[in-house]
Amino acid sequence: MAVAKSPRPTVPLRILTAVPICDGHDSAITTINIELARHGIEVIYLGYHQSVATIARAAVQEDVNVVGLSSYNGGHIVFFKEVVDALRRGGNGDIPVFGGGGGTITPADERVMRRQGTDRIFFAGTPLAEIMELIRRDYARLPRPKGRPQGDRALARALTLAERGDRGPKVRRSGSARSFVVGVAGPGGAGKSTLIDELTSRFLRSFPSGRIAILANDPSHPDSGGAILGDRVSAIYAQDDRVFFRSLATRGSLTGLSAAAPAAIEILRASGEFDLILVESVGVGQESDPFRIFGRGPKLVDATLFVLAPHYGGLIQLQKIALLNGADLVALNKCDHPMAHTARAEIQARLNQNARGQTLHATTAAKHFDPGVDQLFAALARLGALEPAGGEKPCQLRIEA
Amino acid sequence: MSQLGKIADTVDAYNRHVTAEVRRARTDAAFAAELRARWEKLRASVDVTHSPTGTPLPRLALPDTDEPGAIAEYLLSQGFPGQFPYATAAYREMYLDRASGAGEEPMRLFAGLGLAEDTNARFKYLSSHQKSLRLSTAFDGPTLYGLDSDHPGVLGKVGEGGVAIDTVDDMARLFAGFDLTRKDASVSMTMNAPAPVILAMFIAAAKRRFGPESAAQLRGTIQADMLKEVQAQNEVIFPVDASLRFLCDMIEWCVPNLPRWYPVSISGYHIAEAGATPVQQAAFTLSNGFTYAELLRQRGADVNQFGPRLSFFLDCGLDVEYLVLGRVCRRIWAIGMRDVFGADAKAQILKLHTQTSGRSLIAAEFQNNLTRTAVELMLAYLNYTNSCHSNSADEPFTTPTEQYALLASHGQSILLEESGLFRHTMNLFGGAPGLLALERQVEKAILDVFREMDTLGGVIAAMEQRYQRSKIQEAGHRIESQIYSGERPVIGLNRYVSDEPLPSVPLARTSPRKQRLQVERLQVFKRRHARRSPEALQRLENVTRAGGNVFAELISTVESCSLGQITACLTGVVGKFRPMV
Repeated sequence: MAVAKSPRPTVPLRILTAVPICDGHDSAITTINIELARHGIEVIYLGYHQSVATIARAAVQEDVNVVGLSSYNGGHIVFFKEVVDALRRGGNGDIPVFGGGGGTITPADERVMRRQGTDRIFFAGTPLAEIMELIRRDYARLPRPKGRPQGDRALARALTLAERGDRGPKVRRSGSARSFVVGVAGPGGAGKSTLIDELTSRFLRSFPSGRIAILANDPSHPDSGGAILGDRVSAIYAQDDRVFFRSLATRGSLTGLSAAAPAAIEILRASGEFDLILVESVGVGQESDPFRIFGRGPKLVDATLFVLAPHYGGLIQLQKIALLNGADLVALNKCDHPMAHTARAEIQARLNQNARGQTLHATTAAKHFDPGVDQLFAALARLGALEPAGGEKPCQLRIEA
Repeated sequence: MSQLGKIADTVDAYNRHVTAEVRRARTDAAFAAELRARWEKLRASVDVTHSPTGTPLPRLALPDTDEPGAIAEYLLSQGFPGQFPYATAAYREMYLDRASGAGEEPMRLFAGLGLAEDTNARFKYLSSHQKSLRLSTAFDGPTLYGLDSDHPGVLGKVGEGGVAIDTVDDMARLFAGFDLTRKDASVSMTMNAPAPVILAMFIAAAKRRFGPESAAQLRGTIQADMLKEVQAQNEVIFPVDASLRFLCDMIEWCVPNLPRWYPVSISGYHIAEAGATPVQQAAFTLSNGFTYAELLRQRGADVNQFGPRLSFFLDCGLDVEYLVLGRVCRRIWAIGMRDVFGADAKAQILKLHTQTSGRSLIAAEFQNNLTRTAVELMLAYLNYTNSCHSNSADEPFTTPTEQYALLASHGQSILLEESGLFRHTMNLFGGAPGLLALERQVEKAILDVFREMDTLGGVIAAMEQRYQRSKIQEAGHRIESQIYSGERPVIGLNRYVSDEPLPSVPLARTSPRKQRLQVERLQVFKRRHARRSPEALQRLENVTRAGGNVFAELISTVESCSLGQITACLTGVVGKFRPMV
């Protein structure tokens, strides 16, 4: 049929960047991340001191075009080979790996590394502009797994296609889990990512065989269209095969979620893999609920968790936060802050106005083994009627004295 | 509560005090007479020496004036070397030739590669080119992150960029054959998050070799600066509060038991290497130092006991501010310690180690790095640094090879011993108009950063808001853009570029055979102590939970447990650090 098609919008290239294990040199990669985002690329940054397993897992779950590693303290020949091998072992050898390391990676090393499967090394002194040009030229095409993608890669690819507005092949139902989907919203800086990671740790301990998925939405840069998706950096408990973590750039969507989020949630639900799915919105304040389309209509999620920190700006500001009306769970995070005491009373009073029996959970997610997070997780598990395997009670955690 | 605003105000108040005293010297005849008399006595105390060509020279150059205002200005604002506010120098004579021939040798050469015996051999080679015993240790990545050499995925990193240390036995091998109880011996260890474990291994190994009472004779420094790790260098294992507690436990234990040891080296080096400007480097380093002082004071420690055991470490690059950075830092530290913390003279002195900038060295036409390092050395010594490491020209490629490590060492000897710049006269340049102008600007800029951090709630609160990291990253990004635009000339990179390909330099790499040997040794150690180690780890866990001094316990834990086992035990109690972007 000769139907005129509107030109397909350019799809941002997605790169995973990281610094290898036992290496904290992140100065070069930080500069490169900023440049990549400026050039319209979505950078999923994993951070420094990252293991082979973590890098390979993230590359698969994020379904990136390419992996870039910045190595400065030696051992690169072995490390790059291990990353390439780990990808190949999982049937994901189609994802190319490039790297750089100033002068520490010599031309002789590069020859060995290329032979062992590394795609390219950028040597010291390569101008940033040239690096950007080569990346955009050579890695624009989405890698193609040999044969039908398997496991998390299949899920990840379905999410990639959803992000592009395409419908891929139907996701095969591989598990029997009945997913409980929780939308997590709150203003920027309230500690949503940290709280989600702490909830992840409670989930992993309470459900020894369950899986959890996290959809982390982060804003795209309005001018370049690129983004630095850095949520994985501080997600220390996501370094586990039972966690499926996917970063989504908003790509111009103004709802606080990627336009692909509804489809992504459906794909994850349909897989039957996950007992719990947490969807983190970008930092939102007084706008309408990101988990309802256009603020109305059916909810995308089964429950919402609203997170805020003590410095919300006083009673008047508190009244304006529409999300507090409908949230199923409310957490006041950063409760070690001196303003937390007053904030707790004010927010509880605000919730009482709703007359929906909402209780406020006081958390300090930055604190290790915070009992407030334990209680929040227990409430979340009750709400979703999550059944721990083996009948044990959720959240039997050792609490610090 | 942050002290930074108060410290900034105190430095300003001190400067106003100087101005008032200068005015008084010019208007109050009695005060003027007193100053003149003091000045005469000081001048008379200066000995005369002769250069090798026969020129007579004072051992200390003082401003050539009898005007009471100028005298007051010099004595109060700059300070006689070794006197408050120590802008000139921490001590009276620093690097001058001494009749006795003995003196503090400032050169430290950082070394570490392969297994313990390889670094031991490098130490022997380097120390054969030095007058005294100065052993400065670099550790490999797994050791810096508290992991054992048999941890999954780290094999390729074992012995790379530094020495692999897993156990107390490795530590014994590292210093075999050196008499560490010698008066002129000094050991430094660039080690942070696992510093308490590594220092405990060092003490345990020394007790084996030199007897149970030897700890009091050990002299040296361990870096252990966790604040800068979180801000810049990224070698962090435990959450910030636990990291600081372990550090303070170690400092408190060391002050009485290791009286010649510096248990923390408050470091700007990595902050600058990550991209910070000289002013940011100084401001973050000093504010970190004041934060440690405050934490220790809150734990009830006496500033006059721990103050003299704090030491500092700065980077020295090619930017003009480096001409005065050490001088300005000594002055701010002395005023803050005296007037805010009530410290006595010994606790006011900022003792400074300097290293030339690694970031300034490049791979292209790498032999130019010799010149870069030479200029930086000159800047460092003009600041009268107490000790100094010079980088090797081949560092953009590799852990220094013997050839370039020796050139780096000889560079320092040429400057201090062969040239006449530092041998005969102290204060050859101090007080020059350019220096004074720079000092004023740099000091003001540092205090501005203090005030900004104060409004954020102090160093730790600012850190939680990513303040230091953002500033450092922003500055680092600016340097890179300036290099690419040519605004910041780098010879051989963006100016006078030749088409020559990168040279092939010999590399110091650790062979897979050695890496496997290290793993075998570790496994032998673990098997040998398999029965004792669970009990030792349980005791360590109990002490950590109960809030006891973790360092005191570690000295026995290391006898039967490896670094990785100890790290895992402590992480189980206090949790893991959550990195920041």
